[in-house]
Amino acid sequence: MKLSQIGIQRLLRIASVLVILGLGLEIISLLWFHPLSFVLFAFIAASLIGLGILVYLASLVFAVSPPGENRG
Amino acid sequence: MVGILVCQIVLSIILAAIFLVRPSLTTGTAWKIVAFIGLCVLPALCIVGGMNTHMQRSEQTKFCISCHAMENYGKSLYLNDPKYIPAQHFQNHRVPPDMACYACHTDYTIYGPFKDKLKGLTRIYLQYVSTPPNPITIPGGFKNAQCLHCHAGARGFEENPVHSAMMSTLTSNQLSCISSGCHDSAHDASQVDQLKMWNPGQ
Repeated sequence: MKLSQIGIQRLLRIASVLVILGLGLEIISLLWFHPLSFVLFAFIAASLIGLGILVYLASLVFAVSPPGENRG
Repeated sequence: MVGILVCQIVLSIILAAIFLVRPSLTTGTAWKIVAFIGLCVLPALCIVGGMNTHMQRSEQTKFCISCHAMENYGKSLYLNDPKYIPAQHFQNHRVPPDMACYACHTDYTIYGPFKDKLKGLTRIYLQYVSTPPNPITIPGGFKNAQCLHCHAGARGFEENPVHSAMMSTLTSNQLSCISSGCHDSAHDASQVDQLKMWNPGQ
């Protein structure tokens, strides 16, 4: 397995964890009927999901531009 | 609507869990597409759906009075005295009872509900971090636009000689509808426990 692939897989794992955590908190915020549930959703859940998406997109960038090993 | 959102969240969690356990699956083209859907498209839709659900939920009367500081304001909707404007509107369904707070306290502009949500976050900050004001006041005062949103153009309102005589001062917000001598009985939250209540079941 190439070094870059290991890096991509690690990023995918991190993205998955962040997305799962964020979505879990979103479910809690939807079940909890309290003004703080919006705070939980907007500031924690949405941030974790957004961060997970960004990490996933970073893994895509990493995948399309490997560090010059196939060149030359 | 919430059911669809929950299904979407569960599906997204399942897909994310697959890539948490087996990230090597993404070497195949088909799984790359599945990963894009599960880790980008669906979570993004979940954020949009969640925001929409929370915004709609925050319009409900029971949501507003779920906050401890708003309990007496919720009780005041059941005051058994027609001079209390919020109670009169709520009990006679002049505003939708399940959205009573929102109907009179939202800013009727294009981003009104969003601006109100931001103001609500300030209240949460005051409640949990700083000190909440006592009594609770509306920043900038209660705007006539919130009354006129429904009453402007209504026959009973326009033909009332008192209203018609001061219409320009009302529309320009120079004179408040709830100013002393006019419709000055609002929630009276501090006195609500001493006042007679209306019991809908009796």
